[in-house]
Amino acid sequence: MTKETEYAIEVDRLTKRYGDLLAVNDISFTVGQGEVFAFLGPNGAGKTTTVEVIETIRTPTSGKVTLLGMDVTKKKHDIVPRIGVLPQGFSSFDRITVRETIQYYSRLFRCMNTDIDGLMELVNLKDKTKEQYKNLSGGLKQRLGIAIALVNDPEVVFLDEPTTGLDPRARREVWEVLLGLKKKGKTVFLTTHYMEEAELLADMVAIIWKGKIIAMGSPGELIESNANYLLLTLQSVDEKVFEIVRKMGFEPVLDNHKKIAVRVEHTCDVRKILNAINDAGAVYLGLDVRKPNLEEVFLKLTGEALREDSPEMVAK
Amino acid sequence: MNPRIISANLVVKLRSFYREKTAMFFTFAFPIILILVFGTIFMSQDNVAYHLCVQDLDQTNSSAEAVKTLELNGKFKITKVDPAVKAKQYVRDKRVNLVLVIPKGYEMSLMQRMLNDLNASVTITYIYDPSSSSVDTKMEILNSVLAGINQKMSGKPPFIRSVQRSILTKTYRFIEFFVPGIIAMAVMTLSLFGTVDSNTELQQKGIIRKLSTTPITRTDWILSNILYQFILAVISTLAMLLVSYAVFNVSLHMDAWLLVFILLDVFAFVGVGMILTRFVKDAQSAAAAANAISFPMMFLSGTFFPIELMPGFLQKFAKTLPLYYVNEGLRASMVFEDNMAALSYSAVIGVFAAVVFILGVIATKWEEGE
Repeated sequence: MTKETEYAIEVDRLTKRYGDLLAVNDISFTVGQGEVFAFLGPNGAGKTTTVEVIETIRTPTSGKVTLLGMDVTKKKHDIVPRIGVLPQGFSSFDRITVRETIQYYSRLFRCMNTDIDGLMELVNLKDKTKEQYKNLSGGLKQRLGIAIALVNDPEVVFLDEPTTGLDPRARREVWEVLLGLKKKGKTVFLTTHYMEEAELLADMVAIIWKGKIIAMGSPGELIESNANYLLLTLQSVDEKVFEIVRKMGFEPVLDNHKKIAVRVEHTCDVRKILNAINDAGAVYLGLDVRKPNLEEVFLKLTGEALREDSPEMVAK
Repeated sequence: MNPRIISANLVVKLRSFYREKTAMFFTFAFPIILILVFGTIFMSQDNVAYHLCVQDLDQTNSSAEAVKTLELNGKFKITKVDPAVKAKQYVRDKRVNLVLVIPKGYEMSLMQRMLNDLNASVTITYIYDPSSSSVDTKMEILNSVLAGINQKMSGKPPFIRSVQRSILTKTYRFIEFFVPGIIAMAVMTLSLFGTVDSNTELQQKGIIRKLSTTPITRTDWILSNILYQFILAVISTLAMLLVSYAVFNVSLHMDAWLLVFILLDVFAFVGVGMILTRFVKDAQSAAAAANAISFPMMFLSGTFFPIELMPGFLQKFAKTLPLYYVNEGLRASMVFEDNMAALSYSAVIGVFAAVVFILGVIATKWEEGE
């Protein structure tokens, strides 16, 4: 029996242990129908474990997870035909072409009327239909993975780190596809450690760290409530600038590329800093003032950078 | 179980195999190469003629007649050695394994014997290299030829005679006993390595994890693998039989037992492969583990040599190996046309296949916690 619910996913006090390792620690959240939900966190935070429990691949140690109104531990066979999954590090059969791969998965889902051409168009693979999987680039492989996740026209789509390992161009190509899904009104559960991905695509974001959800809300809400300041970046070649700003009572951070980042409360603080630099006759080459992003929210909440390659110039 | 899903999986596997030309070539070529190599060896053994060096120190008509008798026997190709050289040195220098030396005075002793001097005799010497593996066989054949000559000279017919009667209605050559063994071995290798390689690769690449989020069940997956391995095994068997027939004119009895034994061979070794996959982490360890199982099985279960040639304890061990029952079962059906024997061998391998296959199914990881 399934029941209609306003939530596509309901996670209630989910805990998952692997022996002594506590991977997911008593987390709860809901994902609304048609919502794009981003599960944001660094590697090893518990994202994939959580998503695999929801996808019915793993069994929870405790807690209750409901997907489309069905208990994931009891209704696997009813749930599976209604979801689409792009697993982390997706891979497929090397010598099978793009079209054949989509056909194969379509037959597994017993879909008689899958619009294979439409799917290939959606993920922009129409000119690669006869290409074997092994010959595709990383971005094309991920796009094929997304097409496969959609062969059964699922109600909920799970995308586990869909852009990890891709170059910036390939990542943007995948984002285009995901924005297409959003337009189609699909419920999307996205795990990522790219904050810009979450900000761009997600209606709701949950930040997970060390198995715990430490913040949840829309990207705007999270930034507003956790990072209510402005970030001034000065591209400077003059070492005096750092000292000037520091003496004004701010806490500038200097990176290797001679960029200074300063956290300020108001726009008038920006004006004060610029005036002081001008008055001292110091030189800077450019400036940027922006609202903080989820990276800074994560940093503020955990004291750690979200990604190993994150810029570490932001003032704590 | 869903036939549509099974056929979808089968098509993908067959396509992948067909497009991997190198793997396809070696899968079918390896057993055929074995048949060609061993077939050539066995066929030439049926008409084997040993190289024999003879040093005639007597240099008479009678000694020349004796050498001719050896040659006419058909088992030897004679090389005459100069009487002036030392036979031992000749063996060393020319790297031959045996020189038969007819002593001086051969003709004289022969004449005396003809004149009923029963004390007259002659000693033929074999100068031989004991490190040679074929020299014993050569000396045994020579002894039997000389015994024949002695018996003939006695002027009396032999008391004990022998006659050979085969239990088979047709006359078979060794190659005909060999081919069923190669079929059994090839199907084992195909099923074992095919399962282990494919499963570890798909597990490592995360494809199994992806499949576990689709409606394909573990049963569908395993049945499609069995079907795939069975199809390859049948194609490989047909290729082997065709080559055996075309090159060596090997003609074996073929009935439903052939398919039964191929199927049981596939089930048994796909099962073993599935169990192995559970315990090995990567493709390299998987191949090593599969080799560790298949190599002893190949050599100890009577594929290449009759197990009667092995020491007693190895013969007992051989009879615990599943491949032995496939070998013997195929020979029972294809060579001896003995249905009862085929039935009993199929029962043993059938029980083994069922147990191993069930264990393999249990061992196959499909979802976490299994």
